[in-house]
Amino acid sequence: MPILEVREVASGYGDVQILWNASMVLEPGRMTCLVGANGVGKTTLLRTVMGQLKPMSGSIWFEGRDVSRVPAYTKAALGLVLVPEGRQLFTDMTVLENLEMGASNPHARPALKRNLARVFEMFPRLHERMHQKSGTLSGGEQQMVAVARGLMADPKVLMIDELSLGLSPVLTVQLFQNLKQLKQTGLTILLVEQNVQMALAVSDYGYVLAQGRTELEGPSRQLASDHHVRSAYLGL
Amino acid sequence: MNLLASLVDGLLIGFVYGIAAMGLTLIWGVMNVINLAHGPLIALGMFGVYLITTALGVNPYIALILVALVGLASGVLIYAVAIQRVINAPHLSTLLATFAINMIIIGLGTKVFSTSPYTIDFSLGSISIGPITILGTRLVAALAAVIVTGSLYLFLYRTRPGKYVRAVANNRAAAELMGIPSSRILALSFGIGTLLAATAGGLIATFFPFTILAGGAYELKSFVIGVLGGLGNPLGALAGGLVLGMLEGVIPAFLPNTWVPVLEFLLFVLILLVRPSGLFGAKR
Repeated sequence: MPILEVREVASGYGDVQILWNASMVLEPGRMTCLVGANGVGKTTLLRTVMGQLKPMSGSIWFEGRDVSRVPAYTKAALGLVLVPEGRQLFTDMTVLENLEMGASNPHARPALKRNLARVFEMFPRLHERMHQKSGTLSGGEQQMVAVARGLMADPKVLMIDELSLGLSPVLTVQLFQNLKQLKQTGLTILLVEQNVQMALAVSDYGYVLAQGRTELEGPSRQLASDHHVRSAYLGL
Repeated sequence: MNLLASLVDGLLIGFVYGIAAMGLTLIWGVMNVINLAHGPLIALGMFGVYLITTALGVNPYIALILVALVGLASGVLIYAVAIQRVINAPHLSTLLATFAINMIIIGLGTKVFSTSPYTIDFSLGSISIGPITILGTRLVAALAAVIVTGSLYLFLYRTRPGKYVRAVANNRAAAELMGIPSSRILALSFGIGTLLAATAGGLIATFFPFTILAGGAYELKSFVIGVLGGLGNPLGALAGGLVLGMLEGVIPAFLPNTWVPVLEFLLFVLILLVRPSGLFGAKR
């Protein structure tokens, strides 16, 4: 049974419709990627899945339950967690406080100590900087805080919007390695990326979003090697 | 030596101005709402202490604790009834919503209490240190203000709900993504802002006469102090309160009393022109 399913979702902001028909299935323990050009609605889809936007039609299913109308703040407690685009840290709060806030949902709170040890092991840099205000960190360190804060929520599905944006190639590779490790622990991951090549290289399965519709899907390796896909949708 | 005495007097009252301003600045800092009901809520704090003290014959400071709790609850209620539905609307809507609350309180208050002055018959005597005589009630009010400020800091920096308040103030959307119920946190914050206003009012009532309209002057002072200390910065509000209290103590020694508000608002304009983020830095 898929852990997360998006069924024919249409969504947008007020009168501006951005998504027309998006469908997606996330199998547990798999790393899925959603790729597509700038402005096709990737972030809109994530916001709709999280409940920050209400779907105009279609539905979202999490662990066999219709969660289309569940508000954002209760999604985290279910285990559905988003690392938002542009990091969205609590910039006036310390790194440690940001991580504590990640564990706000009642399901993650008892596991705070264990998860803290886990993210500090994954990102030793954050341990060194834990009492520093997160707004004063470098872009790469801030992205680490954003991912670590998401992990503190003890997610079943972790969705990451533009992990690589503004990061150096070295750091990007390192963070993708971290995600691979996380997948080994059984975490289901959805990567939303403009860095198509990288996303298809690390993920198992991919969706291509174009003009508000999920136009194509397939094993990532296959998508990456298909000539038509590469030229028509991915600009490679 | 007279000057020194007025300076000390002004400073002591400045602590109380500080917590009044803290209420205003906290609400602004967390939810970007300018609370125009701030003054009437201060006045309700005054009447709350008056009513409980006279009706039950208890010590005003015990009455104050009750008033603080009722203030917290009323703030949560006001948020739920009047503000929640317009919180995401343009600023004008929240401004009008809080103005409506302001009018309702003043209207009902005038009906019930008229606009004539009330006093609480209570004294703690005074202590003299050299040439300075300090009223006991003012000293206790200043101490209470320090305790309230300390408690607010402990709450905001050491407790989980307090950290939620800061997280929601900092980035409401991200707080929601982390599972923080932001509308409950906003209601709590409005409650705390109201608690601070009512507490300040209750403390002032132990040494000044008051009317249902008395809050207006303190609301304006709170704006000056808030801008002085940096809007959204509670500790800045306390410091700003001390500066304003000191000015009020010292100015009458050189100029007629009527100059006090003139100079205060001159300072307000100057700060806005020269250092709009306040002397002690504002929340961005």
